[in-house]
Amino acid sequence: MRPELEHLQRLEHHLLGHPTPTETIQWQVQLQQDPVLAADAELQQHLYHGILLAGRQQLRQELEEIHTQLYRPRRTWLRHAVARLHQALRWPTRSARR
Amino acid sequence: MTASVLLQPAPPAAASLREELRANRTSTLTRLYQRTFPMVRRHVLERGGTTQDAKDVFQDALVVFYEKTVGGSLVLTCSPSTYLVGVCRHLWQQELSRRNRLPLSDLNEAHEQFPDSAEAPAAEPAPALAVLEYISKLGEKCQRILLSFYYFQQPLEQIAAENSYGTVRSATVQKFKCLERLRKAVRQAVAFTSAH
Repeated sequence: MRPELEHLQRLEHHLLGHPTPTETIQWQVQLQQDPVLAADAELQQHLYHGILLAGRQQLRQELEEIHTQLYRPRRTWLRHAVARLHQALRWPTRSARR
Repeated sequence: MTASVLLQPAPPAAASLREELRANRTSTLTRLYQRTFPMVRRHVLERGGTTQDAKDVFQDALVVFYEKTVGGSLVLTCSPSTYLVGVCRHLWQQELSRRNRLPLSDLNEAHEQFPDSAEAPAAEPAPALAVLEYISKLGEKCQRILLSFYYFQQPLEQIAAENSYGTVRSATVQKFKCLERLRKAVRQAVAFTSAH
């Protein structure tokens, strides 16, 4: 992996992974001493938060699709269209013929 | 204890549900939806709500349920359906109290996506919202990889197979490349904003 990608992997280990207590202390010291690293870590946190929001949006969309699939109205458009056609042509309905 | 109670299968543990959701999200959610939504709808309709209200409340609860389950923080002492109905009953009670106080506002304005007010953030931070916009501009493959890994927490083996990567390592490298692309886009936008 390129060094830039390894840097992202390292950030991820500290932000999302399970660093040891010793690693955490060393990381905190590095953040205090290196403002560029601190800014990098902050940006990475924003990315993770943005991905969380995007994931939530997608999950909501998937739930809508599941809802539509399970409870979509069954051919009501066809029933309505036939009813309108009957009305327009003034065909007697079954009940009227009786 | 009756025979029917004895014969009922034990509630699936959160861990096995977690694996099902990670590996086969759509079918697991569909099954859960089909089993649970009618109960939630009945409860909400009997207490003055509409089918739309029931859907909103149920989907809010399902989003949090999903996140807690795949995040490994859910402790289930009953079936997932019973748990979800309980959350929805609580949510709907909260919503009714809110409507009595503020009769003209909308359900979604009230509790956004979090049924538990203790977990609800006041508002999303602006940088995260900006990132959201840049994610939508990434290529479809990068979007899919990032969301599958970080939000849906799919196993990397599955992500590799679904995106035609020969090895988990290739999928990992691609994931970091996508993250790097997103970082660059956001960084450029921040630099552009601060320069103007």
